[in-house]
Amino acid sequence: MGDILGLVGKRLGLGLIILLVISIIIFFMVELLPGDIAQAVLGQGATEENLRALREEMGLNQPAIVRYLDWLRGAVMFDFGNSIVTGESVANTISERFINTLFLAAYAAMIAVPVSIVLGVLVALLRNSIFDRVANVVSLSFISSPEFFLGYILILYFAVKWSMFPAIASLSNDMSFLELLQRAFLPALTLVLVVMAHMMRMTRAAIINLLASPYIEMARLKGTPPWKVIVRHALPNAWAPIINVVALNLAYLITGVVLVEVVFVYPGIGQALVDAVSKRDFPVVQACCLIFAATFILLNLAADVGAILTNPRLRHPK
Amino acid sequence: MTWFVIGYYTVLLAASCLAAYFNKRSLFLLLFSLTLVSFVLGIVGGTGALKFVAISAGVLALAGMVAYGFREFLIVLASDDLAKELRTAPMTAAFGMFVIFTYAVMGIFAPLIAPHGEAEIIASAFAPADENMLLGADQLGRDMFSRIVYGTRNSVGLALTATLMAFILGALAGLLAATKGGWFDQFMGRLADVIMSIPSLIFALLMLSIFGPHVHVIIIAVAIIYAPRVFRLTRAVAGNIVVMDYIEAAKLRGEGTWYLIRKEILPNSMAPLIAEFGLEFCFVFLLVAGLSFLGLGIQPPTADWGSMVRENATLISFGDITPLIPAAAIALLTVAVNFVVDWMLWRSAGLKET
Repeated sequence: MGDILGLVGKRLGLGLIILLVISIIIFFMVELLPGDIAQAVLGQGATEENLRALREEMGLNQPAIVRYLDWLRGAVMFDFGNSIVTGESVANTISERFINTLFLAAYAAMIAVPVSIVLGVLVALLRNSIFDRVANVVSLSFISSPEFFLGYILILYFAVKWSMFPAIASLSNDMSFLELLQRAFLPALTLVLVVMAHMMRMTRAAIINLLASPYIEMARLKGTPPWKVIVRHALPNAWAPIINVVALNLAYLITGVVLVEVVFVYPGIGQALVDAVSKRDFPVVQACCLIFAATFILLNLAADVGAILTNPRLRHPK
Repeated sequence: MTWFVIGYYTVLLAASCLAAYFNKRSLFLLLFSLTLVSFVLGIVGGTGALKFVAISAGVLALAGMVAYGFREFLIVLASDDLAKELRTAPMTAAFGMFVIFTYAVMGIFAPLIAPHGEAEIIASAFAPADENMLLGADQLGRDMFSRIVYGTRNSVGLALTATLMAFILGALAGLLAATKGGWFDQFMGRLADVIMSIPSLIFALLMLSIFGPHVHVIIIAVAIIYAPRVFRLTRAVAGNIVVMDYIEAAKLRGEGTWYLIRKEILPNSMAPLIAEFGLEFCFVFLLVAGLSFLGLGIQPPTADWGSMVRENATLISFGDITPLIPAAAIALLTVAVNFVVDWMLWRSAGLKET
C-alpha cells in the first residue's frame, strides 16, 4: 500500500504546483492591463485624486508580489476581496451560485454516466454493425453541435411546443427537491447529451482496444458467449480507462456548464463569470477562473488516481 | 388509417423484403427495426411522428445521393492516385467534403450571393419572411439570409485563422522540441501541461476580460490555448521519426536543424498532422462560436453566427426556428469536418479493427 500512497501523494503535489502556477497566471494577467485596475474601473476621465484614493483603497500602491501573496492567502480561505462593480464580497455572491452549478453538474452526471457506459458496452458488442455506425454518426453530431444549439432545440420542443418543462431555470430556496429537479431538467439534459456522446465513444474505444488482446481471443475460443466475454473478461480490465473517461468528461462538464447556464439563465457560477467578464469586474473573474481551474485539476487528478488504483501495472513504472 | 400511413408501411416493408431477398443483411436489419420502431412511434405520436420519420429518411436519402454524386464528381476530376484514395471514402466523408466545399463557395463569394449588405437595415425588427427576404429580418431589421451568408466568411474565417496560428505555433515548437531535445523540450512540455490544465473556455474568457473583445485578441488567445495540443501531437509523432536511421544519416551528413525539420521530419508526419488540423479546427470553431454567443466574439455590426443566435433567441419562445439556422450551420460544418477527419484517421490507422 505504501507505494500507492507515495504515487498518489506525488500526483497531488504535482496538482498543487500546477494550481499555484495557474493562480500566478490568473493574478499577473490582470497586471498586464494598460494602466491598472483603478484606471480601468474609473475610466479615462478620472481625476488624479480619485485614482489615488482608489489605489489606496485597493492596496495597489504595494508591489505586485505582496498583493499576490495577500490575494492567495485570501483565496485559500475562500475570500476573494470585494467586487469592483457592486462592492459586495465576492465570496458571498459566488458561493451560492457555485452550489447551484455543482447541483446541475451532479444532476447531469447522474444520468449521463450509467447510461453512456451501458450504451458504450452495447455498441462495442455490436461493433461494425449498422447500429454501431448509426450510433457513431449520431454521437458525432452531438459532439459537433455547440451547447447552445442543443439547448435551444430542447427549449423549442420541450418548453415552447410541448410545454413540459420551463425554458428558464430560475431557482429559489423554498422549492422542494422535486421541483428543483424539474426546473433544472432541460439544462441538465443538454449537458447529458453532449457529455454522453463523448463518454459513449470513449467507452466503446476502450473496450474494443481490449477485445484485440489474446486473453479475450482465448475466452472466445473456449466458447464463452459474446456478452459474457465483454461483461466478465473485458469489462474488469476496462474499468481503468472508463474511470479516466468519466473523470475527463466531468471536467468537461465544468466548462460546458458556462454556455448552458447562459442559455437557460441558470443562476450558476458560469453566468456570474460571463457577467463579470463583460463588466470587467476583475476580482470576480479571477475568483471564478480559479474555482473552475481548481475543479478541473481536481477531476483530472481523480482520473489519474483512479487509473493508478484500478490498474496495478501503473504502480510499478519501468 | 390514412393513405399516408398505409403507404409508409408498404414502402418500409417492401424495402426490407427487397433487402432481405438481395442478401443485404445490415440494410434489412435497419429497415425492419425501423418498421418495428414505427409501430411504437405511430401509436404514441400519431401520424405526426411517422411524417417526421419519413421526412428525416428523405433528407438522409437526399444527403446520401448528394454525397455519392459529389464523390463520383471528384473521382472524375482527380488524378489517378487521388481518385484511388477517394474511392475508399465512405458516404459520410463524401458528404463532409461536399459540405466543406459549399461553405467555401459561400464564404468566398458572399457579396455575390447575399442579396443585401450585412449591416444594411431594410425592414422593421423581426419582420416575417417575404419575397425580398428569404428568412425574415433580425432584431434590427437586417436580412437574416444575407447575414448568414456573410457569417460564413466572418465566423469560419476567424476560426480558420486562429487554428492556423495555433497550428504554426504548436507544430513549430513540437518539431523544435523533438529535434533539439534537452531543456527546451522539458520546458515546452511543462508549459503545455500548465496551459492544458486550464479549461479552454475559462482561459479565453480571462484573456478577453483583460484585453477586451477584439478580433486579434481572440485569435491570439485561441492560438495560445490550442497550441499545446498541437505541440503534444507533433512532439509525439516527430519523436518517433527522430530516432530513425535516415535522420541519423542526415545528421552525420552535417544537415542543420531547419533542413531536418523541413525535408525529413515534416513530410513523414504529414498525415496525422492534417487530421489533427481538422480536429483542432472543430474545437476552435466551437470555442469561437461559444465566445461570440456570449457576446465576446466579433463585435457588431459584423455578421457572426454565434452572436446571431443570441440576438434573435427571443424568437424561439414564439416557436420560430430561424435563430437556430446559424447554430445549425455551425453544427453542420463541425460534423462535416469530423466526418472527413474520421476517414483520414481510419486510413492512416491502416484499417485496424476499430
